[in-house]
Amino acid sequence: MDTLSFNRRDFIKTTAAAATILPTFNILSQGSGILGPDDDQLNVGIIGYGAEGEILCNAAMKIPGIRFRAVCDILPLNAQKGRGQMRAMGHTDAKQYEDYREMLEKEDKNLDAVIVATPDWMHAEHANACMKAGKHVYCEKEMSNSLEKAKSMVLTQRETGKMLQIGHQRRSNPRYIHAFDEVIRKAKMLGRVTHAYAQWNRAVAPFLTLNPRAHLPADKLEAYGYENMEHLLNWRWFAKYGGGPMVDLGSHHIDLFFWVWDCVPISVTAIGGNDYYNREMNDNVMAQYEFKTKEGLINRAYYQVLTTTSNGGFYEKFMGENGSLTLAEITERGNTVERETREGVPAWDSFIKQGLVRALPKKPPAVDVSSKIVTDSRITPPPPGYPLPIELNKPAHMPHLENFFFAVRRNKPEALTCPADVAYESAVAVLAANVSVAKRETIYFKPEDFHV
Amino acid sequence: MKLKTLTMVVAATGLVITAGAQEKTQIKLVLPKPCFTGTPKDIKKHANFDPHPHDKERPAIEVPAGCDKLLSLNCKVTSSDPDPIIGDLSYITDGDKDHDAATYVELGPGVQWVQIDLGSEKEIHAACVWHYHGEGRVYRAVICQISSDPDFIDGVVTVFNNDFNNYAKFGVGKDKEYLESHFGRPFAVPAVKGRYVRFYSRGNTSNEMNHYTEIEVYGKGG
Repeated sequence: MDTLSFNRRDFIKTTAAAATILPTFNILSQGSGILGPDDDQLNVGIIGYGAEGEILCNAAMKIPGIRFRAVCDILPLNAQKGRGQMRAMGHTDAKQYEDYREMLEKEDKNLDAVIVATPDWMHAEHANACMKAGKHVYCEKEMSNSLEKAKSMVLTQRETGKMLQIGHQRRSNPRYIHAFDEVIRKAKMLGRVTHAYAQWNRAVAPFLTLNPRAHLPADKLEAYGYENMEHLLNWRWFAKYGGGPMVDLGSHHIDLFFWVWDCVPISVTAIGGNDYYNREMNDNVMAQYEFKTKEGLINRAYYQVLTTTSNGGFYEKFMGENGSLTLAEITERGNTVERETREGVPAWDSFIKQGLVRALPKKPPAVDVSSKIVTDSRITPPPPGYPLPIELNKPAHMPHLENFFFAVRRNKPEALTCPADVAYESAVAVLAANVSVAKRETIYFKPEDFHV
Repeated sequence: MKLKTLTMVVAATGLVITAGAQEKTQIKLVLPKPCFTGTPKDIKKHANFDPHPHDKERPAIEVPAGCDKLLSLNCKVTSSDPDPIIGDLSYITDGDKDHDAATYVELGPGVQWVQIDLGSEKEIHAACVWHYHGEGRVYRAVICQISSDPDFIDGVVTVFNNDFNNYAKFGVGKDKEYLESHFGRPFAVPAVKGRYVRFYSRGNTSNEMNHYTEIEVYGKGG
């Protein structure tokens, strides 16, 4: 089927069918970014066509009415790939650029919005230039590896009035929206959520390499600010260009702590180091955040990012007095709500009837019972996991892009699920963890630290 | 397409159908470096998914002695997409199986094929394909056919087919879908004679495109 000729009314039907939505909760009515039948074609460019840019473009090309007109990347191989994929998917008039300034100048009248998926240190320069040129911007997380640069993005957004969505894509994921808004906030299934834990563990991996036939010459690398190809390919591991795994991976999870409690932290204490690879940025970080709620309660969150073991992979846990929620962007790794089995916790039958969670699987997971284990009355049995009823049958980034394009088309900046000022808050907290590691001390926040 | 296809699906056990107590040898694959990068994708596995763990090498394929010669190195490659999105068709037989952004060829969406010309008719005993091992992904409708007709009209033998939905219109295949890895996907071929080896696919679980890093074809030397 021709992607571009896909009827928008069909799209709405398939979108509704794609997400398993129970009657009680209409995701479509939550303004989470579903396009309507009268939406016009939106002309889009993209700056940065590395792995993340490709993922975003591939997801965006599935959205009806989105037409890519330009791709820009300093690496010819990437720009060629972007142009070729656009052409193959029917975006035949997309042009290829090396310099974003040339792209903005030549495509000025052809672009409504730009996706920025470049290394973190260039986000502010690219996003600000696009907004000043009158384009709405979807920019990958983290906003920047510099708080000053992140601040400039918020200010430019305000000055230009253009929309700026930051790529914390879980904010638009219907599973996460359901879990946070319906399960935790409205139904209060978990009771008070006192703690949160998240981790992202990855196996040992060498630096990325690239066949020399695709290398940039030294003068080009220098012109674009990169010391060599190793720096360009592995920018996440160098302080000049990125913030290491804590910023690259942690930004997604720390953002969830802000979202679930709807407040900012008062401190972060982190330890970690460059203990394995002898690289510039920390290869392992463990951070503890203290959040103070609007009611004055203290909640705590723990985060771990390791790059020398994939043990446990990546997931998030939100732990309350009555139950805990385990989530992960990959459903198989986290999609359940566990009820505390202590006395006094209300039964969840009504929550099942309301469609907040599915009934317990008929055959609960086998419990390893050994005759050698002495029963200890202080140990409560493992809680059963009730599956969440929402499935996302589309690429993980697609709902967030849909949300952005919906807001642009309808001129509704208030519909954005992760506007610049919201993302700035978590950027403050994430970047501070690296500072805490370096100084080996607790960093205390003031409320005004999170405001621009 | 006029098709006289003799389907000889071989289970991926590494066993080769041979007669008598023939002396055997093993295909010795030279594996590329493992290179999984980025965030794993949420892959919905089809019921016809191969349970073989993707992080374990498959058992070596046994072939008759003298039939373990690499026949495909630097052989000419043609494709249904003569203008790849990136890369060059020559990468498929250049011996470089390592994954990076410049070592694979990317073909357009839909059912696409690549075809290796072995130069003359050969007796083929095994093949191995590396589509893209930069992340865990599953390629759809992976089919391998052998023929001495460059147009694959006559004398076509299908030696691997995991097209559970008959996307490529060659019939539903009985081989299983599998997760890409640096181990590639080796499979035995029951001494099929042919000059051309053609591989089909129809996109993958990450995007609609079709990729090849390397294909190796093994058989009788000389």
